[in-house]
Amino acid sequence: MNRATRIAVIVAMAIAVLAPIGLVVYQSFLDGPFFQPKTAFTLSAYDFVLDDEDFFDALWNSAVIAFGMTAIAVPVGAILAFLMVRTDLPGRRWIEPVILVPMFVSSVVLAFGFVVSLGPAGIVSLWVKSWLGTIPWYLYSKWMLIVIAGLTHVPHVFLYTSSGLRSLGSDVEEAARMTGAGPLRVALTVSLPMVMPNILYAAVLVFFLGFELFGLPLVLGDPEGILVLATYLYKLTNKLGTPSYQLMAVVVVSIICIALPLVALQRHLLRTANRYVSVKGKASAQKPVTIGFWRWPAVALIVCWLAFTVVVPISGLILRAFVSSWGEGVQLSQVLTLDHFRELMHFPNLVRGIVNTLLIASVGGALSVGVYTVLNLAAHRWQSGWTRLMDYLVLLPRAMPGLVAGLAIFWVFLFTPFLSPMRQTMIAIWVAYTLVWLAYGMRLVSGALLQIGPELEEAGRVVGASAGRVSRDLTLPLIKVGLISSWLLIFITFMREYSTGVYLLSPGTEVIGSLLVSLWGSGAVDLVTALSTVNIAMIGCGLLLMSLFGKRSHG
Amino acid sequence: MAKLTIDDLHLSYGSNHILKGISATFAQGEIVALLGRSGSGKTTLLRSIAGLEEPSKGTITIGNSPVFDGAAGLNVPSEKRGLGLVFQSYALWPHKTVFENVAYGLRLRNVPSAEITQRVAAVLEGVGLGHLGDRYPHQMSGGQQQRVALARALVYNPPVILLDEPLSNLDAKLREEARIWIRSLIKKMNLTAVFVTHDQVEAMAIADRIVLLDGGRIVQAGTPQQLYTEPVSLFASEFMGTNNQIKSRVQDKRGGYTQIELSGFALWGKDRGGKAVGEDATGVIRLEQVAVVAGEGENCIQATLETSLYLGSQWEHVFRCGDLSLRTFGGPLAAGSHWLHLPPEQLWVF
Repeated sequence: MNRATRIAVIVAMAIAVLAPIGLVVYQSFLDGPFFQPKTAFTLSAYDFVLDDEDFFDALWNSAVIAFGMTAIAVPVGAILAFLMVRTDLPGRRWIEPVILVPMFVSSVVLAFGFVVSLGPAGIVSLWVKSWLGTIPWYLYSKWMLIVIAGLTHVPHVFLYTSSGLRSLGSDVEEAARMTGAGPLRVALTVSLPMVMPNILYAAVLVFFLGFELFGLPLVLGDPEGILVLATYLYKLTNKLGTPSYQLMAVVVVSIICIALPLVALQRHLLRTANRYVSVKGKASAQKPVTIGFWRWPAVALIVCWLAFTVVVPISGLILRAFVSSWGEGVQLSQVLTLDHFRELMHFPNLVRGIVNTLLIASVGGALSVGVYTVLNLAAHRWQSGWTRLMDYLVLLPRAMPGLVAGLAIFWVFLFTPFLSPMRQTMIAIWVAYTLVWLAYGMRLVSGALLQIGPELEEAGRVVGASAGRVSRDLTLPLIKVGLISSWLLIFITFMREYSTGVYLLSPGTEVIGSLLVSLWGSGAVDLVTALSTVNIAMIGCGLLLMSLFGKRSHG
Repeated sequence: MAKLTIDDLHLSYGSNHILKGISATFAQGEIVALLGRSGSGKTTLLRSIAGLEEPSKGTITIGNSPVFDGAAGLNVPSEKRGLGLVFQSYALWPHKTVFENVAYGLRLRNVPSAEITQRVAAVLEGVGLGHLGDRYPHQMSGGQQQRVALARALVYNPPVILLDEPLSNLDAKLREEARIWIRSLIKKMNLTAVFVTHDQVEAMAIADRIVLLDGGRIVQAGTPQQLYTEPVSLFASEFMGTNNQIKSRVQDKRGGYTQIELSGFALWGKDRGGKAVGEDATGVIRLEQVAVVAGEGENCIQATLETSLYLGSQWEHVFRCGDLSLRTFGGPLAAGSHWLHLPPEQLWVF
């Protein structure tokens, strides 16, 4: 790409990123919806929200939940990573792929799973009740919400810690064993401190995700009226009877104000973490630490965690989708049915939702990867103020939770004359999805680009290829495999996305995620579980495709 | 005729000055080595010629056409300079076959495909890989990859071919063979070649002329013989060979010769540093120029044999004279005291 094209691409991206945020900030200072002819600048919306007790309740709940889930997820994830990566734990090869499942299943779906399994009338609850005569937990309490949020975010910590541990030479551990440290001591005093930057990064990430939490509190917090920032925003839509755009805008601004420093901190930590890792390169021969007897309690611990966060909710949910009802004294084998799925097919909007989800994930995902690739190429091997600007711009959408970004994009389509005809089409959904996952997708593609040495492209220039031809003939073919696997990851990500489409939901723009949120509000449990099962099956296919592709491109 | 001319070239990254005014000319058919330590600016100079770095000042001219002119704001992009460059890592494109790697430069020049087939085959034949066109780079050994990289740079007949540490990724044995065949190939094709190296033996073996760089400046330029036998500075003499160094003080000066002193023995050497009587000076003599002689004489010192190392083809002897140790080569020697002759015309005083 030449300089002019690069700058044009970066400016286009700046507009796409700044327009939604700018519109939200503008709206927050108005006294009515921005599209109404007579609106005036005022701070009244801020006054209203900052006077609202519910807002501070939600803020407080968000903070407590974010702290609580970080306190649970970080130690569990770090220990799990040590056990999986550095020890001779039996069955590691089977456990490892399952650990990441909570990351790939959308959190509303997981939340439904917890309700049908562990809720007051859940299948596991009923089973426990038949033994003990009572249910020793209450799913809809704040504590339960924190525990579930914490345990379902263990994979994030696991992912970052294990990648750090994998690049650590086993000589440092062997040295500790030789001086007389037991396996637990080795983990706590040598291995984990050495990957501290990675753990710290994961902790900030989980804390940040805690503030963004939407699906879990929407489903699990609702019965007891536990609001967090995102659900407060969601409920605010109808708080005053009419859509109170200015109030929503104020909440969005406050969410962005909290999220932005956290995102900046993450970026800073990621940089230091990378520096740290590269110092201790000698990772050639890794020998697992023998933990002897301790492996049995360790395996038991992991199995318990997996059972609670993966097996119980997902199997409960799938089972519920195939039975007409359950309760005390009901024989499951007699109530098995496919009726819910047949019913599903009778709702044209639900069928459209499934088709749309497939389209947005496959075609839309591919287009998004294309956008991310063009953006990456615009900054590729170019040091300038423009690329630094781009680095910071990418962070902004990261600070908008899906719900917020969906709302902002909805407004942009409402506000801009030439875009408004497309508001109720999948184009709006695609723009929102691409923007929400901008930072993630950019990182996937830049990871692929980093794999190719600069001299491969320089060689192309020297033999006579222009910059454009180098991109076309050399760079793109070289990152082809990386682009395909990026697309598969984006495919799964778009498949499970639920919050971004919520405000964009209209006839024609249904996707499974937003349909689930709205169906849950109407209490149609049969349809919700059936649709969730369809969603899980689709994600399962995506994961299968990914592992097949991974095998092929490595073999 | 000058094929490549560089005049007063400067380059800096921020406040870090890499090239501080380099001027050099490269004649048609000449092989020139850019020699220097790491950080001397030799690779940066090569990359500036290729158009991969942008100097801040100066000019670069290929044939009669300027490709860089700092004052006029001219900087022809790499692809328009038409040069050939062999990368240190070879930089072969892993997704293309050997044939396609070599053919790419011709395809960009819209050469008809029949001619491409014939020319690529010819150049691959020339580097001894005629039968391996269908292979992918990862299926080849390091030495073969290097030949492909060279073929890729040669196929479109560039006016000048640039090589960045072409031999550094080969093992010792292969490197010695490659020195011979690269030089004979370039000579046979009558090409102008510039190559970067940090190995003075490699530079002397391959090049017609050596440009010695240090700290972004040219220290000395000339034939390998000139650089080896008439170094202009202590740095140049140290870089080009292995020496004995005698730290001393100038005692006397006469007719282009300077007298220094080593543990009471007076030594005459060529005056190269222009130091005045009474100033500190360093005497330098190549190991192989120190000779063991039968007895006392002019420019001789007495030294005790400390140890001898057997090197196969010869012995390396380490002598001690006062607090200085001197090394030389020769046949087997008995332990004890010996006389060493340091010829005045081979002892350089800086």
